[in-house]
Amino acid sequence: MSVIDVVRRANQPGLPENSIRLRLACLAAVLVAIAACASLGEIAWTTALGAMVLVGAGTAFSHATRSRPPWWVKALVAVGATAACVWFFHAVGSVTAGVTSVINPLTVLLVSVLVVHSFHVPSRRDLLFTLAASAGLMAVGGALAIDLRFGLYVVAWACCTLWALTEMWTSASGGGRISVSGLVLVLAATSTAAAGVFLVLPAPVVSSRVDFIARAGAGGSIGAPGALAGDSGNAAQLSRAGNPASRIRVGGYLGFAASLNTALRGSLSNALVLQVRAQRPSYWVGETFDTWQGESWMESKPVPRRPLRQTSPFVLPVSLGDVPFGQSDLQTFYVESSTADLVFHAESAGELWFPSAKVYVAGDGTIVSPIGLGSGSVYTVDSQVSSATPAQLRADDNPFALPPDVQRQEEQLPHPYPRVLALARSITAHDTTTEGKVQSLIHWIGAHTHYSENIPPLPAGADTVDEFLFGNRVGFCEQISTSLAVMLRSLGIPAREAVGYVPGSYDPITDLYQVHADDAHAWVQVWFPGYGWQNFDPTAVVPLSPPSPGATALHDVGSLLRRIPLVPVVVIAAAAGLVVVTVRWRRSRPATWAERVARSAERAGRRAGQPRRHSETLAAYAARLDGLARPAPSTWSRLASSVEASAYGGHDPPRSAQRAMVDEARRTRVRPRVGGGRDAPVARDAPDVPVSVGSGARD
Amino acid sequence: MVASVLIIGLWWLIAHNAGSGWVQLLGDLVFGALLIGIVGPFVIVTRARIGLRSAPGDAVAGLPALVRVESRSRLRVRPVEPPGPDVFVGPGGRRGPVDEIVTLVPTHRGVHESITLDIASAAPFALQWWTKRVHVPLPSALHVSPHCGWAQPVPRRPDDGTGDVHEQPRAEEGLPRGARPYVPGDARRLVHWRSTAHAGRLMVREVEQPAAEPVTITVELPMDPDAAERVAEGALGSVVRLLEGGTPVLLGTRERSGPVLGPVADRRSAGRRLARAVAGGVADGKARGVGSTPGRHAGP
Repeated sequence: MSVIDVVRRANQPGLPENSIRLRLACLAAVLVAIAACASLGEIAWTTALGAMVLVGAGTAFSHATRSRPPWWVKALVAVGATAACVWFFHAVGSVTAGVTSVINPLTVLLVSVLVVHSFHVPSRRDLLFTLAASAGLMAVGGALAIDLRFGLYVVAWACCTLWALTEMWTSASGGGRISVSGLVLVLAATSTAAAGVFLVLPAPVVSSRVDFIARAGAGGSIGAPGALAGDSGNAAQLSRAGNPASRIRVGGYLGFAASLNTALRGSLSNALVLQVRAQRPSYWVGETFDTWQGESWMESKPVPRRPLRQTSPFVLPVSLGDVPFGQSDLQTFYVESSTADLVFHAESAGELWFPSAKVYVAGDGTIVSPIGLGSGSVYTVDSQVSSATPAQLRADDNPFALPPDVQRQEEQLPHPYPRVLALARSITAHDTTTEGKVQSLIHWIGAHTHYSENIPPLPAGADTVDEFLFGNRVGFCEQISTSLAVMLRSLGIPAREAVGYVPGSYDPITDLYQVHADDAHAWVQVWFPGYGWQNFDPTAVVPLSPPSPGATALHDVGSLLRRIPLVPVVVIAAAAGLVVVTVRWRRSRPATWAERVARSAERAGRRAGQPRRHSETLAAYAARLDGLARPAPSTWSRLASSVEASAYGGHDPPRSAQRAMVDEARRTRVRPRVGGGRDAPVARDAPDVPVSVGSGARD
Repeated sequence: MVASVLIIGLWWLIAHNAGSGWVQLLGDLVFGALLIGIVGPFVIVTRARIGLRSAPGDAVAGLPALVRVESRSRLRVRPVEPPGPDVFVGPGGRRGPVDEIVTLVPTHRGVHESITLDIASAAPFALQWWTKRVHVPLPSALHVSPHCGWAQPVPRRPDDGTGDVHEQPRAEEGLPRGARPYVPGDARRLVHWRSTAHAGRLMVREVEQPAAEPVTITVELPMDPDAAERVAEGALGSVVRLLEGGTPVLLGTRERSGPVLGPVADRRSAGRRLARAVAGGVADGKARGVGSTPGRHAGP
């Protein structure tokens, strides 16, 4: 078969589709897909409503002209689809923001194609194309969906599609409908297949060959350019600096400022702050502090006032002491609620797609936004994440050293800590490497201290580290991490305090990390000559391996199941099952005494290997059963005679006799005579058919 | 199916590299639907059982024969041997019987111990049709007789004109033998008025059927199926014409078991004999075709 034949065969018009329900189901799927895209802002609601009306009109027109679609409609559809494609390529060619900006033109293209195609959908195959296009539209919408609300549209679209597919089978099979149980089975099978793939497939990754959206949200301008929000004292800014009198910085966390007061811990809410799409979880670094003052951390070199002016992507300078030769990791941050004007990232930020023409970058890698990052802001960072293993860190013998002034700053202490030094030396007495010392100190902290946020504020002027290590040894992450940093510095190891967020919980549906306000965290960065600044967290063990959607979903389901009260659920399920069984048993029970006798005869015959034949009357069957035994009894014949007299002659015996006959039929067994074999051969495919004996009296 | 695999592969490739969980989830749903749409019909067809509720014993080539089949699942049934149009059997939308009538239109005469059906299903999504060929044994053999063709003229022997009776009476009348009193039910045309007047009561003629000489028709089918079909059609036409004329017929054919010569009483039995007939001569050295010989023939 040549290519022309294949094309010609593919273009052969199909039989006209007469099912209105199938058309309605396809229409519903398309409408849901358009609404989903409109809800995500990919097309305007007015455009979406217009498209919905046109698709509805087109569907009605297609149904009306399904037998003889006008030739000019097909021509118009072809012209319209071609025009939409031309417009799409023109729009794609003119966008400058990158491949991600293709989403909106692609949505418009698909909606346009669906609209024009809806006027020429004569056959079932065309309706299948409509369903496929709606699936594509949903996928385009899903590409930008970052929350679970999109799930409502997915569920609605899946229901409409399932309806359309089953209607397609109904139409194709000449009226064959799927029963309710079959539908449940199909739904379960489809869901199981989808869930199986979902569990097996790895999490999606972000290709590094595309550009990313960068969108300014509802943040507003920052009063003091380059300053951290709240530090300038401007009331219009996003937050205010934390101090003992006012703990109301962003999300309640006091660390996203020019200083970090370790004596205080704000009351952190559970509000969703960020959603992060990343290839692997990391600590989302906001800023680092290198100057310890006994109670607070400070930055020795604040963020410069001179911004980095560039268009996205910003190529960021390498921070001091960093070794940016790790794995490239892309993170897209979706700001859900107003946060600090810090640009969060994983370890060493290399490139930044940001919705402004400038950013402020400090020497330690801290990036400050010139605009407020309110809800709706989106930015993407390409970071270099260290892939060094503990063994590699232990074997690190790189002669590279920090510049003397930097090293002095990273080992700075406000005053000698003799007790801390003695403690650190005693803990690391057997360790010869930096990594070994760090691990020993972390292990000691884990074994001898306790995490708690409910501690009273430290007395004024008290040293946090002394109070923590030699007091009750109860504190929160800032105090614990500061203690580690000071112990390391006392041993001559460069260390600094980092603040930001832990990765947050991974959502296997959206493939996003949900970062809440109470995920704000402080940890320690230790410098290794060959690998730069490495994160160490003495407070909590945060898994930083790439996520598996399946494993996460299973874990979530397991957690959910563990919360279900098993005993009540089992009791309710058992009761429901009992009701169902009872109802089914009552429905299948013979309604009259005559039917019960007939059913007993059939059961007895079946046990004796003599099922009733299709064309066999009850009397003939009873005679055959009686003939199996020698001497031949007449029990079944007598009972059949009474049944037929009742069913066809209207001679109902008294109720007592009815009961007696039912009991007798139930007790009577068919005993084939010995050596005589069974009389007539059983019909090859004679199934056991229910007996119809007319209307007998109910007992 | 290939298209489905390509679509899913492309979808996952895009979804995996686009970094969107929703796109991947939608791809999983589409995969689930395609998988069930492709595998479901295969499972249904593999597990399908076709039962035969009733089947005729006789059929005529070129004319429909109705067979009632039943199935627990909705299937498209296409008769292959004998052929016939597609029909859907099995549970439909409404509750009711699950059996349907399948029309067979045999194109050639023959005997079928079973019928061959192509059963297919695309449930539950009508995305992919799977077909399986099944052989359903018939409760009794289906004899497909040839179509009744034009009757060939029966050659007469030279002494056919000699005999006591020059003109054969009509089969339903017979030859008058005497008269007897009328009994209710006798035809009015049999009333013998002269005897009635003589006897003083209503008298009717008594007739008897003459013992006609049977005609032996020997059918030798050629090897070519189409030519054999035409020969059989002509033979059946001749047999039917003779039987309608009241002439007994001895039909000689070759069946698988060997030559068979025997009387045929009616069209049905003649059709069955011709349905069973195979190519080859009844006796060696005879030309292919239909030969007829008035007079008694000894059986083989």
